[in-house]
Amino acid sequence: MNFPWFKRIGIFYIPASIAGWIILIAALVFAVFSFMDIDGRSHSVSDTLMNFVFMLLIIGSVYSLIAYLTSRVPRK
Amino acid sequence: MENQNFEKKLRDMAKPEINQLKHADMLAKAIIDSKDRSVVSSWWLSVPVFIILMLLMKSIYMPGTTLITNIHELAAKEKYLSVIFFLISPALLIIVNAISIRKIHFLSGSPKSPGFLRYVWLNVLIILFSALILIIYSL
Repeated sequence: MNFPWFKRIGIFYIPASIAGWIILIAALVFAVFSFMDIDGRSHSVSDTLMNFVFMLLIIGSVYSLIAYLTSRVPRK
Repeated sequence: MENQNFEKKLRDMAKPEINQLKHADMLAKAIIDSKDRSVVSSWWLSVPVFIILMLLMKSIYMPGTTLITNIHELAAKEKYLSVIFFLISPALLIIVNAISIRKIHFLSGSPKSPGFLRYVWLNVLIILFSALILIIYSL
């Protein structure tokens, strides 16, 4: 496997390889799916947004942790 | 021939001749690594901060409730989630960021003045917020 998969720009990790792009796209697809799921069960716009932002922060946290662990070049 | 030249060079050497300082590289790497860690930490800290802000809003708009009672209510309803985001995650963030600060402090020659804090101010902020979350949760 060729590391690093990501590079950090500010507080965001940008993909730097195909594996990184796959992880980013998977995270975005999951975010869209969870938005549709939350929207289908919520009673108002604020209800949707509140639950979706919470889910988005969890997705962002897990994504940034994976990106941090895979953005380091292994020691030789 | 090459060995003799090297020995002569060593004999004639008056002071250490090093083109690049190893510990400067180590310090630069430690500062970059601490910034990476602080970014990941701020993402993980954003989840409990968001929950606390939402509960604070709830306590403002719902009469008769306070932030502490709302947190206790959430902890009773979502047992594992609250332990992860209000106990384990802040405790881990404090440990990880404290190790980063300690490493930079050590590599920069253990300075007495707080000047080195300008490299680790985000780590310090994360430790303070994490401690605040732990205190709020334990009330």
